[in-house]
Order: sequence, then structure tokens, then C-alpha cells
Amino acid sequence: MLIKKTLPLTLLHILAALLVIPSLAWSAQAIEAPLALNLSSRTIQISTFYNGTTLEVTGTVPVDNDIVLQVSGPKQDVHLKVKGKIAGFLWMNKDDASLENIPAVYMVYTPPGTIGNFISSDLGIGYKALLKDISISPESSDKAFVFGEYVKLMEDSGVYAINEAAITYGEPNNGTKGFSATLSIPSKMAAGKYTVEAIALKDRRIQGQTQDDLTLELTGLPAVISSMAFDNPLLYGFMAVFIALGAGLAIGVIFRGGGGAH
Amino acid sequence: MLHMYLPIAGNSVNVFLIFGLGGFVGLLSGIFGVGGGFLMTPLLMMFGIPPTVAAASDSNQIVGASTSGTLAHMRLGNVDIPMGIMLLVGGVGGGTVGVQLIKLLRATGNADFLIAITYVIMLGGVGGYMFWESLQGLKKDKIQSATEQQSEVTQVTTKKSLLQSLPFQFKFEKSGCEISMVLPLLIGVLVGVLAAIMGVGGGFIMVPVMVYLLRMPMHVVVGTSLFQILFTCINVTVMQSYSNHTVDFVLAVLLLLGSTIGAQVGTAVSKRLKADQLKIMLASLVLLVCVKMTAGLLMTPAIMVALKGGH
Repeated sequence: MLIKKTLPLTLLHILAALLVIPSLAWSAQAIEAPLALNLSSRTIQISTFYNGTTLEVTGTVPVDNDIVLQVSGPKQDVHLKVKGKIAGFLWMNKDDASLENIPAVYMVYTPPGTIGNFISSDLGIGYKALLKDISISPESSDKAFVFGEYVKLMEDSGVYAINEAAITYGEPNNGTKGFSATLSIPSKMAAGKYTVEAIALKDRRIQGQTQDDLTLELTGLPAVISSMAFDNPLLYGFMAVFIALGAGLAIGVIFRGGGGAH
Repeated sequence: MLHMYLPIAGNSVNVFLIFGLGGFVGLLSGIFGVGGGFLMTPLLMMFGIPPTVAAASDSNQIVGASTSGTLAHMRLGNVDIPMGIMLLVGGVGGGTVGVQLIKLLRATGNADFLIAITYVIMLGGVGGYMFWESLQGLKKDKIQSATEQQSEVTQVTTKKSLLQSLPFQFKFEKSGCEISMVLPLLIGVLVGVLAAIMGVGGGFIMVPVMVYLLRMPMHVVVGTSLFQILFTCINVTVMQSYSNHTVDFVLAVLLLLGSTIGAQVGTAVSKRLKADQLKIMLASLVLLVCVKMTAGLLMTPAIMVALKGGH
């Protein structure tokens, strides 16, 4: 009797659960407003007196989630010289190594909190995650070591960075909270297309992500010079020489006129 | 702080900093007749300019500085044009040979080691000898005010008979010597090969070579060296623009605004200094570079990789 009653109940429960779970999940997503990301500008103009700039990033994220921002740039191959000891005591550029499929720019911005909560190769965030995607040639080279040293080199010029606690949160409102960060765009970041990615995390799991494109382009004098150097290299070379000659002659003449003491 | 963007280097620089750097190197160029690449390239790299762009744009800048310097020295009668041309022809030939030689050496593996050792030993040797010799000269000057040429003539007599047996004897008036045209040509080749191997302009080797092997008066050496460097750097600028796209014109203009003025001031300074004073100063500079290079070789680098293309 008891058993007979329980069985249909359980079946009913399962049926109900099957119906309810997806709809619950659906409604949960609807309530927690999806991740939003806004850049203060999608295009940065590199003009004559450009010296790097900053970019304001704002957005919203579910209130119980954290947000990590990732800026990365065109994948490229870099050719390096690895230093080593020669004759036991002289430090010199010794071996060649190329890192392939490595981004020219890689910057991570994390919110306040333990860095380990936001950065790991499992989450696909951070230098170790980057290391997975790149390859090295010759294959005999120590990939992790060369990559680590290359990261130091890039950090020095500002195009690689892990910025801890660089995101601030706003007040919670309707299940979401705002976030904002000021991204630094160093002058070493070349003209090209980049991606700004916002990743929502909860308990070290990715809850959602969204991204936007960021374009850096040359304009004015830098654009003119760059296109001339690459499109008309011979003419460009001669122009550079003639202007240098002209400047040298002009200064020479000015000094003769002004000095007159010989 | 006014910054300008360098489109080829892909970086921004402080305008006044680069102007000042140009002025300083131009000054050295006017005083000693060296291009200054040995100083400029590493300094530009410190400011974040890629090594290849630093070296190529520096050549562009030297065109301006050496035009300015050559003009100033020419007015003082310090440029021996026939001598400069012979050295130049030899230098271009030597440079071509040197580039091939370095490829050959690289293939064998230990080229970089050989280059570094040669560089340090040459700088140390040349700088040390020049320093010692000019110190003797300065001491001697106090006792007797004999002209430098007279004292040099006595030193050179032993070599003279051999040198005079060479064909195509020519009187180089400004240099005050009558030697075979083959000699400066060969020296040009030698310097060209060394310069190509070391990846430097060669002013540093050329000046001591003219002083000690050709026995030219110091002031004429400075002027003639600048004349020779001018043409070498025109060639390098055009070649680098054409095949490597590494000349940053904005950077070169900023540098040459400073360096053309520096070269004029340098020439004026040079005129007021005695030959031995000039030599001892240049020797100190050479020794300083030698010490810096040695330190760089011995100290553990902070970063174990470098972008390819540097020296």
C-alpha cells in the first residue's frame, strides 16, 4: 500500500523536477541581468603628440559574481635571442628561439580579492593560460623559461600586465552591480585590433563572458610617415637623407653667419 | 612634458630628452669625428626604441650631424677630401665583405663570442695605447713646444721605406703626407670589415687608425672622418629604409635638431683643444665603452631573452 502510493508520487516528482529545473534556470538568468560591458571609446587615434592614453571601462555583473577584464592583441610570432654563458663566464646572446601564436598585448585587470581566485590556467586567464596556447621553435627550447623571460621584457614596456585590485564595484541594484576600471593604453601598444573581454566568475567558475573590439589607428603625421615608409621605401629613404643633409647645411650656414669669429 | 609618437619605432618619446641626447652625441661627433652610434643606439634602446630602429634612425641622424660638422671643419681646413674618398671606397668594399664574412662566421656557431672578444680587446687596446701615448705627448709638451708633426716624423721613419715602395704614391696635402693611395684604400677595407662585423659605424676604429697608421694630424683626422662618415651613413639610411623599413623619420629629425647644433659647438671646442688633449679625451671615452661592454658580458642579465636584431 505504502509502496504503491510512493511510486507514482516519485514519478510525478521526477516529472515535475524535469519541467521545473530548466524553467527555474531560465528565470534565474532573466532576473540576474546579463553581463554588460561598455568602453569609453572603441577607437583610439594615434596622432603626432600621442603618448599613450587611458580607457574607461564600465559594465554590470550579477551581484554575487566577480568580474575580470582581459585585454589582448594580435597574435604574432616573436623571434628572440636567449642569453647564455659562453666559455663559462661571458653572458651573451646565445641561442635563437621563436615564440609562436603569442599576443602582442596581454593585460588582465582583477577586482579586489585573492588573485588566485581570478587567475589560473583552468579559467583561461593569466600568463599560465597563455603559455598553453603558444608554441616554441626549436622545440628543444625550454618553453616555460623563454616565455617567462619574454613576459618580463613585455612587462617592462607596459604591454603585458596583471593589474590586481584594479576594478571597483558599484552598489548592488536589482540583483546586479556596476563595475568600472581604467585601462592603461601604453604608447608601446601598436596600431591594430584588440579585444577587451569581461569574464564573470563565481566560486572559481566562469559564469559568462562578453567582449568588445578596441582599435588603435594611426592618424595625421604618424599615418603619413608610416604609409610612406612601407609603400615607398626608396623615396622615403632619399627624403630622410635629403632632409638630414638640408638640416645639417642650414645649421652650418646659420653658425657661420652668427659666429663669424674665424 | 611634450611627447611625440614615433610611427616606425611604435613608441612615444619625450621631445626634449631626444633633443638633448642628439645635442650631446653631436657634440662628441664635432669634437672627435666619431658618429656616436656606439653611444646612441644603446641609449635609444633604454628609452624603448627597438634596436634595429635605433641603429637605422641613428644613421639618418648622423647624416645631418656629419654634414654640419664636415662643413664646420672644412672651413677650418681640416678635411682631406682625397684621403676621405679613398677611405670611403675601401670602407664600402670592406663593409660588403664584412657582411658576408659575418654570415659565414654565424654559420660556424661561435661568431658572437669572437665578435665580443674582438670588440673588447680592440677597444681596450686602442683606448689604452691612445691614452698612454697622448699622456706622454702632454708631458713632453711642457718641456718642449715642438709641433706634433715633428715628433711623429721621427717615430714613423722606420716604417717609411716599406710604405714608399708601394705603387700609386700620392701627396695628401691636408694630411701632410705622401703615401700610396693603396694604403688608405686597404685601411678603409679593414675598418669596413670590422665595422660590419661589430655592427658599428666605424668612426671609433677609423680615427685611431688615421692617427697612428696614417700619421695624420689629429684635427685633420676629425674633419676627414666626419666627411667619410657622412657618405657611409647616407648609404646605410637609404639601404635600411628600402630593405628593412627601420628608419624612423620623426626620431631622426628630433635627434638631428640637437646633433647638428651639437656638432657646430663640438667643432668650436675641438679647435681650442690641443691634439693630445683631444686624443686623451677620446681614449677615455673608448676605455669607458670598453669597461661598460666588459661589465655587460660579465654580469648576469636581468632578463634572459632579447628581441632579435640588436647588436
